[in-house]
Amino acid sequence: MSDALISVRDLTIRFRTDEGLITAVEKVSFDIAPGEILGLVGESGSGKSVTAKSLMRLNGENTVYDPESRITLNVPGETPLEVLSLRRERDMIAIRGGAISMIFQEPMASFAPAITVGRQMVEQLLIHTSLTEAEARELSIEMLARVGIPEPARRFDQYAFEFSGGMRQRAMIAMALSTRPRLLIADEPTTALDVTIQAQVIDLMKDLVAEFGMAILFITHDLGVIAQTADRVAVMYLGRIVETGSVRQVIRAPAHPYTRGLLDALPKLDDLDAELTPIPGDIPSPLNRPSGCVFHTRCPQMIAGVCEGRVPGYTRLGDGHDVACHLYTEQAMEAAR
Amino acid sequence: MLQFAQFAVVRFAMALFTLLMVSLIVFTLMELVPGTCAERYLAFKNTQGSGISVEDIEAEKRRLGLDRPFLVRWASWVGNVFLRGEFGDSCILRVNINDLLGDKFLISLGICLTALALAYAIAVPVGIISASSRNPWLNESLRFVSYFGLAMPNFLLALMIMLASTVWFGESLTGLFSNEYRDAPWSVDKFLNFLAHAWLPVFILGWSATAFALQTVRALMLDEQSKLYVTAARARGLYGRRLLWRYPARHALGPIVNSLGFDLNRVFNELPIVASILTLTEAGSLLLESLARSNDQQLAGAIIFLLTASIVAVNFFTDLALALLDPRVRKSVIGG
Repeated sequence: MSDALISVRDLTIRFRTDEGLITAVEKVSFDIAPGEILGLVGESGSGKSVTAKSLMRLNGENTVYDPESRITLNVPGETPLEVLSLRRERDMIAIRGGAISMIFQEPMASFAPAITVGRQMVEQLLIHTSLTEAEARELSIEMLARVGIPEPARRFDQYAFEFSGGMRQRAMIAMALSTRPRLLIADEPTTALDVTIQAQVIDLMKDLVAEFGMAILFITHDLGVIAQTADRVAVMYLGRIVETGSVRQVIRAPAHPYTRGLLDALPKLDDLDAELTPIPGDIPSPLNRPSGCVFHTRCPQMIAGVCEGRVPGYTRLGDGHDVACHLYTEQAMEAAR
Repeated sequence: MLQFAQFAVVRFAMALFTLLMVSLIVFTLMELVPGTCAERYLAFKNTQGSGISVEDIEAEKRRLGLDRPFLVRWASWVGNVFLRGEFGDSCILRVNINDLLGDKFLISLGICLTALALAYAIAVPVGIISASSRNPWLNESLRFVSYFGLAMPNFLLALMIMLASTVWFGESLTGLFSNEYRDAPWSVDKFLNFLAHAWLPVFILGWSATAFALQTVRALMLDEQSKLYVTAARARGLYGRRLLWRYPARHALGPIVNSLGFDLNRVFNELPIVASILTLTEAGSLLLESLARSNDQQLAGAIIFLLTASIVAVNFFTDLALALLDPRVRKSVIGG
C-alpha cells in the first residue's frame, strides 16, 4: 500500500541475551493509514510493545532486526523514510517526537520526577520546532488547557507528582500531541487508570485524533477498549499477528481460536450467568517458541500432525480480514478438492 | 524560596533534637563503662605509687559531682557542651579536654572531608561516564581499579607507600608537620607544611572512598537509566549528553548526595588505623588511645560526640542539597 502512513513488512525482532538470541517478534506486517486507529491486542509477552517501540527505535542496545525487516514512514509531501536504516541518534529525532509520539502505560513513571511538566514540554518543542522559549511555553499551556487540565498556567510549573493519575495521562497526551505528530503510539494508555477516567481519556484521544488528523497505534490487552476505540485490529500472539481485520469483523466474527479465546475470557455485563472461559495454559516462554503455529500448544482446535509442523500462512476471509490458522487453509484445500 | 527556608528551619530543629538524643546515648555509654572517673583516676594514681582509700574515692566523687543523679549530670554535661562548647576534664590526664583536643579534631575532620570531597569529585563524573559508556575496555578497567581499591586495606596501602618512599626517597612520610612546626602557632608556613604532609592520609583515605563511591554512582546511574522516564525522554527526541546529564545523571544525584553522610562515617572509622600507621598523633588515633589504652571515658565521650555531631551536620547539609535537587523532598510533609 503506497498510501499508508507507516508500513511495516516482515518485521522480525530478536534480542541478544545470555541465553542466546531470543525471538520477540516474527514476520509482522501491517499498515496504518493517515488518520486511522489500529488496535494491537495481545497478552503481555506477545511482542506488541516491542513492535511499537521499534517504530521509534526505542528498543535496547541488544536488539537485532532481521535484514529483510522494513519499516517505512511515508509522511505525505515528504520523502519516505526507512526507519530501520537510521544509524545516528541525531537522525532519529524525525521519528522520536517528530512524526511519531508515544504515550506510555505509567504516566507517573514517564515524567522525569525532578523536572517540571512544563519544562519537559518546552524542551521537546525546542527540539522539534523553531519556536522561541516563550512561544513554546505559550503553546504548552494552550495544549494543557486543550486536554482539559484546569489552571494550566499554574500546572505548567508543577511536577508530575503533584498531578492526579488521570491528569498525568492528560498532560502526557498534551505533550505527545504538542509537536503535531502524524502517528501517536499509545502503549496501554488507560491500563493504570480508574475505569471512569479511562473513558474520559479515551474520548479525549478520539477527539484530538479527529481534530489533528493523526493516526494512532493503540496497544492494549483489553478487547473492550479496542471495541470503543479502533478502526482496525491486529491480534498478536507470541510475536506473530494471528488475525487482523476491521473491529466489526474481528469482534463480531472472530476467526482465530486465540481471538475467540480472548473474547470468551471477557466478562459480559448483559449475561452475568455466562461462564468465563479462560484460554487454557500459559503463554510459553520466548526461550522455547513452539514450532509450527505458535498457538498450537494452547489451541482447543489443534489439528495433530499439521499445526505443530507448519507455520500457517494468511487466509483472506473478507475485505481486509486475514487469519493465520490451519483450520482455514485445510478448509480451503478441502473446498478445492 | 519560602518553602525552602521553612524546610531548612524544620530540618535544623530536627538536627538539634538528634544531637540532643545522641548526647544522651553517648552520656549513657560513658556511664556504662565499669567504674567511675574518680575510681579510675585514683587507680591510675595507685599504679604511680601513691596509696588510696575508700574515703579518698568518696571525696573525689563528691569533688567531681558524681554523687548527683544521672539525669542532672547529663543535663549539666549537655548544657556545658551545647552552651559553652566545654567537655570538662579528662579522667586520667586531668587536663581540659578542649585544650587536649585543640586543633586535632578539626584537623582530623578536615582530612576526612577532603578525602571524601576528592572521592566524590572523581567518582561522580567517572561513574556517570562509565555507566553510560558502551566501551568494554573502559568499563572493565574501571571495574578492576575500583574493586582493587575496595579490596586493598587502607593500612596495607599506607605501609606500601611508606616503604616505597623510604626506599626510594629516604623520607618516611609520617606525621602531619615537620618537627619545627609541631608546636608552633598557625601561620602560612605551618599551613603549607601541613599540606605537604596531609596529602598522604587524604590520598589513602580517599583511595577506598573513591572506589566505594564509584560503585555507588555506577549502580545508581544504571538504575536511573533503565527507568521509563528516560525512555520517554528519548521518545521525545532527546539524545546524547543532553539526555544523559538532564535525565539519569540529574536524578541519580539525589541518592548520591544522600550517601555522603554515610560515607563520612566510614572514612572517620578508617582514620584511626591510617593515623596510627602514619603516626599522625594529631588526628584520629587519640580516640583509639583514649578508649583502648586508658579507658578515659570523658575524653572518649567528647570525641564520639564530636564525630556524631559532624555526621549530623553533614546530614543536615546534604538534606538541604537534596531539597534543592528534588522537589519531592522540598515539598514533603516535614518541609511543611
